[in-house]
Amino acid sequence: MAQVPRVALRGLEKRFDDVEVLRGIDLEIAPGEVVCVIGPSGSGKSTLLRCINQLEPCSGGTIELDGLDITGRKIDLDAVRTRVGMVFQSFNLFPHMSVLDNVTVALRKVKRMNRREAERVGRERLAEVGLAHRADARPADLSGGQQQRVAIARSLAMDPEVMLFDEVTSALDPELVKGVLDVMTALARGGMTMVVVTHEMGFAREVAHRVVFMDQGAIVEQGPPAALFDDAQTPRLRDFLGQVL
Amino acid sequence: MENLGRLFFDVEIILDTLPALLREGLRNTLILSVGAITIGLVAGLLLALVGISRRWWVRLPAKVYIDIFRGLPAILTISLVGLGLPAAGLRIFGRERLLYGMLALGLISTAYIAEIFRAGIQSVDRGQMEAARSVGMSYLLAMRLVIVPQAVRRVLPPLTNEAIAILKDSSLVFVVGLAAGERELTRVGQNIGQQSGNFSPYVAAGLVYLALTIPLTRLVNRLDTRLREGPSVRAAQELPATLAQEH
Repeated sequence: MAQVPRVALRGLEKRFDDVEVLRGIDLEIAPGEVVCVIGPSGSGKSTLLRCINQLEPCSGGTIELDGLDITGRKIDLDAVRTRVGMVFQSFNLFPHMSVLDNVTVALRKVKRMNRREAERVGRERLAEVGLAHRADARPADLSGGQQQRVAIARSLAMDPEVMLFDEVTSALDPELVKGVLDVMTALARGGMTMVVVTHEMGFAREVAHRVVFMDQGAIVEQGPPAALFDDAQTPRLRDFLGQVL
Repeated sequence: MENLGRLFFDVEIILDTLPALLREGLRNTLILSVGAITIGLVAGLLLALVGISRRWWVRLPAKVYIDIFRGLPAILTISLVGLGLPAAGLRIFGRERLLYGMLALGLISTAYIAEIFRAGIQSVDRGQMEAARSVGMSYLLAMRLVIVPQAVRRVLPPLTNEAIAILKDSSLVFVVGLAAGERELTRVGQNIGQQSGNFSPYVAAGLVYLALTIPLTRLVNRLDTRLREGPSVRAAQELPATLAQEH
């Protein structure tokens, strides 16, 4: 019997007013799979991610999480989002809270964990991203790379079934990118299901199980990284790779 | 010249007026202002949250309220509430005219404070709400834990300005007809001035206002600078050290 996909998009559509941003996306992601989504800006990559955790309501099609359609009206989206971690390009840490509180606030207030237990989990997750020693700092006192790693720890603390990464290194100074990618690589190796929208082709080639190339709101080509990068089938992907590599 | 000095700055009269000003006037001015601002903070925050709803029919009552109470002269609102309510048989505060005045001022400050909070809430980056929602917080929980705490810090300077404005506007409550013991600063100064035929009691009342408003103004300026320059100089100095430590 085939395994139930962790995430399944079926005919996913998204329109902003008259603009069609996603035109019927079909994509299944297996548990433990790492999928990198690449493509030119405006191709709908970020919107795709934002639809998966319903930050954007989709206009058509369905999204299944472990076989459960989360686009239905009766779905408790807050509960769904605790199972889907998301990391943003601009970190979006809560500036008025300490690093540790950033990581534990949802554990305490959403999962109703007591403070001691939440902080134990929080410190563990911070240690995983190499920032246990910065637990009491304010986000503003951290470098961009450190802030992004805290943001990853904040999502991980909820123990999600899938992690979404939306161009998470694009706002970082070049020397800070590696630390974040290293954390993501370790996560992938540890078996986390990940959907990564990225311009880091090196990361996609090394870490992804599958690379998806999107253009103009549709999936144009997909496959194992080696096949996609070294043997592009479509002119659009060849053009794109020619520009970014 | 000397006469003019005595007409406004007669030290003896000023000193004579001060006890009544402080005992009765200051007390009632503070009751009016603190009460009105408390009403304004609570109701204003609620109104701001209603006013940013995505549904127009939820927003509409908030907009109408704000337009009305910001658009009317304070003295008119105070008259309508302070004289109108009891006349209409709505004696919610019995004969406590000060409380009607406080309610009127509170209704006015609610409109201004709602606008201040709305601007503050909308100035918080959209990504903050998205990050809060993405870890499973409901809209209201995200507002309470993430958005409003940041908004409040940003709006402390305009809120303090509003407190100053209410403090001064509390002088308009005289229109409801304040009995002895209920008079606020301006009314006390005015009454004594009229009796003595001298303006020094007005000046004395003015000095008490300034003793309240000038420190508040200073506070606004300090808050403003601090918010613009970041939380503290210390944090700014720590930043390079942090970077060095990492690499």
